[in-house]
Amino acid sequence: MRAAAVRTIVLVAAVGAAAPGATADAFAGADAFTLEERAFQAAAARVAGAVVRIEPAAASTAAVGAAAEAAPAAGASTGTVVAPGAVITTEFAVPRDVTQAIVVLPGGGRRAAPVVGRDASRGLVLLGLDAEAAAGLVVPEPAPRADLAVGQWTLALGRTWDASTPSVAVGMLSATSRAWGRAVQTDASISPANYGGPLVDVRGRVIGILAPVPADTAGMTSGTELYDSGIGFAVPLEDVLRVLPALREGRTLVPGILGVGYASRDPFTAPATVATCRTGSPAARAGLRTGDTIVAADGRPVSRIAEVRNVLAPKYAGDTVELVVERRGAAGPTRVPLEATLAATLPPWRRPMIGIVPARVAAAGSAGGVEVDWVWPDGPAARAGLVRGDLVTAVADEGGEPQPVDSPTLLAGFIGGLEAGRTATLVVRRDGAERTVAVDVAPLPALVPAGVANPPAASGPPTVERLEAAEVARPPLAVLPGGKAGPPLGVLVYFGPPPGPGDGAAARQAAEPWLDAAARHGVAVVLPTAADPQRWGRDDVAAVARGLDALRARRPVDPRRVAVAGRGPGGACAWLVAEALGPAVGGAALLDAALPRQATVEPTEPGRSLWVLFGGSLTGAPAKAAADRALLGDRGYQVGLLPDVLGDAPPAEELCRWVESLGVL
Amino acid sequence: MRPLCPGRPPHCRRALLAAVAGVACGLPAVAATPGETIVAAARKVVKVHGAGGVRGLEGYQTGVLVSPAGHVVTVMSTVLDADEIDCVLDDGRRFRARLQGVDPRRELALLTIDGDDLPAFALEEAEPLGVGSRVFALSNLFGVAVGDERVSAQLGVVAAVVPLAARRGAYEAPFRGEVYVLDCTTNNPGSPGGAVIAGDGRLVGVLGKELRAAESGVWLNYALPAAEVWRSYRELLSGTAAPPPPADAAAAVFDPAALGVVLVPDLLDKTPPFVESTLPGSAAARAGLGPDDLLVAVNGRAVSSRAAVRQALALVPEGDAVRITVVRRGAIVDCDLGPRPAGGGR
Repeated sequence: MRAAAVRTIVLVAAVGAAAPGATADAFAGADAFTLEERAFQAAAARVAGAVVRIEPAAASTAAVGAAAEAAPAAGASTGTVVAPGAVITTEFAVPRDVTQAIVVLPGGGRRAAPVVGRDASRGLVLLGLDAEAAAGLVVPEPAPRADLAVGQWTLALGRTWDASTPSVAVGMLSATSRAWGRAVQTDASISPANYGGPLVDVRGRVIGILAPVPADTAGMTSGTELYDSGIGFAVPLEDVLRVLPALREGRTLVPGILGVGYASRDPFTAPATVATCRTGSPAARAGLRTGDTIVAADGRPVSRIAEVRNVLAPKYAGDTVELVVERRGAAGPTRVPLEATLAATLPPWRRPMIGIVPARVAAAGSAGGVEVDWVWPDGPAARAGLVRGDLVTAVADEGGEPQPVDSPTLLAGFIGGLEAGRTATLVVRRDGAERTVAVDVAPLPALVPAGVANPPAASGPPTVERLEAAEVARPPLAVLPGGKAGPPLGVLVYFGPPPGPGDGAAARQAAEPWLDAAARHGVAVVLPTAADPQRWGRDDVAAVARGLDALRARRPVDPRRVAVAGRGPGGACAWLVAEALGPAVGGAALLDAALPRQATVEPTEPGRSLWVLFGGSLTGAPAKAAADRALLGDRGYQVGLLPDVLGDAPPAEELCRWVESLGVL
Repeated sequence: MRPLCPGRPPHCRRALLAAVAGVACGLPAVAATPGETIVAAARKVVKVHGAGGVRGLEGYQTGVLVSPAGHVVTVMSTVLDADEIDCVLDDGRRFRARLQGVDPRRELALLTIDGDDLPAFALEEAEPLGVGSRVFALSNLFGVAVGDERVSAQLGVVAAVVPLAARRGAYEAPFRGEVYVLDCTTNNPGSPGGAVIAGDGRLVGVLGKELRAAESGVWLNYALPAAEVWRSYRELLSGTAAPPPPADAAAAVFDPAALGVVLVPDLLDKTPPFVESTLPGSAAARAGLGPDDLLVAVNGRAVSSRAAVRQALALVPEGDAVRITVVRRGAIVDCDLGPRPAGGGR
C-alpha cells in the first residue's frame, strides 16, 4: 500500500505542476479515478509537441520481404524529438536499407528527414530536421533514470493512429532494467501504434523511447512478437542522449563484442568460464585466456554467464570493460585484472583441427581425459604419432600452462581458440606413461575421409521406431542401431522427398536404405514425416526438435555428432532445422538443394559453426547452390562437396561416415 | 484537430467547481467507487449464446441492454446464425432472444428478450470521448462467465479516436466511421458486443468484432462510440438500417492512370508506389512527375502502397484539386495535378 500512497502524492503534485492555473482546490472534489485521468491527459498534453508521425519515404526491400510473413508490418510510425532538430524513431519504421523518412509536423506539413545515425544495439534511428521544421517542435524534459520506481504510472504516446492527436496508452513501470540492461519495461500496450514514441511519466517527462527491443528469448527475433502483450520496452532517454553526439556525427553504433565463448551453454546456472578466446579478439588482446573464469565486470562481482552479459550487452563497439578473471595455476588460483576495448566485428572463425577423433561420449566430464578413437588420415595428430587408444589428459597453447581436459567438448573449446599454423601441446597417456606431444593446428579439411574407424559394433539388428512426442501428430521415424548398451549415437536428420499421404508402409520403405549404414557407423537416422504430405513446412521443423528430445530420452546421443541433411525441397527444411537448433547441430548437407531464401547466414563463431556439404545428382543442383557455397565460405563455414549421387537412394554410407567424422578435433 | 483534454465538456468542469463550492449540480455528491460502478453497469450486460463450434468459431459473445423492455444491442456475427439465441443476465436469468434486425454497415444487431423493467443503459447521442479518457470494458471474454457470474471487467483508456481501417483476413470491415481505440486487450473471443463505460457508469461504446489493423496487421482493440450505437439502434427500431454497402463502394478506387500517372507493376500488396512513367500530355506530365518519383501522399493522406494511392485518389471529390507529394532524390516535392476528373474507378 505504500507504493499506492506514494503514487497518489506524486499524482496530485503532478496535476498541480502540469496544469497551470489549476489549484489544488479544483481537484479536491474529484475522486482519485478522475484525478488520475486528468493527470494522464495533462502529462500527454505536455509532451505532445515532441511526438511526430513518421512516414516511409523509400521502399525497404527487407520490409517488403518480411511483409510476406505474419509479422506486423510498418507503415506510418512515430518519432520523438530528443533535442533541437533531432528526432529518434525505430528501425521498425526505418529499416537498415532505408536512408530517409518523412516527418509529419504536428501542424500537418511533411518534411524529408535523412537518417543521420543509427543505434543498432537498441534498434533506434536518428532523423535530422532542418531548423525551420524543428522550430515548432518541443524538446521534452527527460525523467532522471535514478528517479524511476517500479509501480509508477507510465504513458505511452504515439502518432501512428492519428497525426493530429497523439494516442495514449497507460500502464505502470514494470522494471527499470530489462533486455540485458538496454531498456525499461512497462505494462502499457506497446505496439506498432507507438514504437518510436515516448514513454512518459505522470509529470509529462520522457522516461524513454518505445521500441521493440528483442528480449533475447528463444524464438524471438524482432521484438514485435510482444506487441500489446503487457510486456513493453523503452530505451531510457538518458541513454539515448548519451549517444546522441555520436549519432549526430553520422555514426552507426553497434553492440560491442568481447570475443569469448563459454564452456557452458546455460547462461543462468554456469559460471563464466572461458572455453574459447578468439585470436585477435578484444579478449585476447586484453590478455584473457582459455580456462579463465570471469568473476567481476566493471567492478561488479559476477558468478554466472548471464551476469557478464548484463554488463556487456548495453555496451557499444569502442567501449571498454574492466574484468577480473580467476586463473588456475600451479600455485593455485590467482585473480588477474584486465581491461578490454570491445569490437564491432570479429573475423569469421575457421574451425581448426589437430586431427584426433575422440571416442563417443554422451556427457561432459567422464574418463579423466579424451580417448582417441581414430586419427584423421595424414592429419597433424597422425604425423605426430598419435594412435587409437591414446588418452589426452591436458592441453596447452604454445608455451602455456597445460590445462586438464576431461571431455571432448572442453578440448574442442580449447582447439577452437587456436588458429591454423600454431602448435598445440598435448599431454598424452599411453600404456600408463604420460608424455608431451607437439601437434600442428591445421584447417579442417572439406572432404570426409574414405576410411574411418567404426565405433564398437552394435549388438543387434537395427530397429525402426517412431519418436513419439506430446502434441506431435506425425512424429518422425528413426532408424536406430541395435543394442541399447552400445556407445552414444551420432544423429542424422534426413529430409527426403515429402513422403506423400501414404501410410506407415511408405515411411518404412524410406527407412530401408539407411539400415546398414546406420548400424555400421552407430548413427540414429531421423526421418521426419511431413505434416502436409505434399510439402515440407515450418511445422515439421518443430516436430524434428521434439523428436530429437524424444530420441535423447531413449538412447544416449553424442552432442558433437549431430547433423541434418535434405534433398531437393527437403534441403531448405534441413537448413531451417540447423538454424533452429543452433549449436546443437554440427553439420548440414544439401543435396540438389540451395539455402532457403530466408536463411540467415551469420558469421561463424567458436561453438557456432557448421560443416556444410553440397552434393546431389549431376543435373539436379539449383544454380543458387554455387553462390551459396561462396557465401558460406566467406562467412567462415566449412564447405565441402559430396560425391555425385546416382538415382533416388540417399547417399546413406557417405552421410553416416560424415556424421562420425564430425567429431574430429 | 481534436483537443487533447476534452474528457468533459467545459460546462462540466464549471459544474465541478460549483460542486466544490457547495452548490447543487447534476453530479452525485458522493462518487461511487470504481467497483460499485462496474457492478451496477454489469447488470445491464448480457452473455449471448448462439451458434458456434464450426471451424473454431465461438458460440458466444456479449450484448448490452438498451431499454427496460428488453432491447439488446450486440454485434452481427455467426453467433446469431442460430434458431435459438439465449441472453443470460448477471443474476442468472436466461431469456430466449429474437433477432429483430441487423445493421450491416456498423455490423451491429438488435435482439429482443421478453422482460420488463430490465436494467438498461440509457443510450443517447452522447458527446464523443477524448483521447486519454478512462474507461472500463465489460464483456464475456473467452466465455469464462457462466450462469449468474458477472462479465469480466477491464480497465483502460481511449488510446485514439480514429476512423476504422480494419480487415478480417482478406475481408475489409465495412464501417469507416470513427471508433475508440482502447489500450486494453479487448480483441478476445466473446468480447464483441461488450459494454465500454466511463468512470460514472455511462455507456460510452460497444466493443467491436475481432479485427486487425489494415496497415500494420496488428490486432485492434476498439469500440464503436455510443453515439454511433444510438444511431444504429434507432435505425434498427424503425427498420431503416442502411443496406450493406456495395462491395465496390466500401473499397472505392481511382486509377492514377486517369491523371497520367503510371506506377510500377503491382507485385505484392505492399509494392511501394514508384512512378514508372507518365502519359504524354497528361496532368502528371505537366506537373513534372517522372520515373522513380515515390508517391508518399495524396492531398495530405499518406500512401505507402499502390493500393493506398488508388484509395486515396477515390477520396478526392471529382473536380477537387489533386496534389501528389513525392520523394525525388531525397527531397519532398508537391505536384499539383489540377482537378480530379470523373471516372477512373474500377
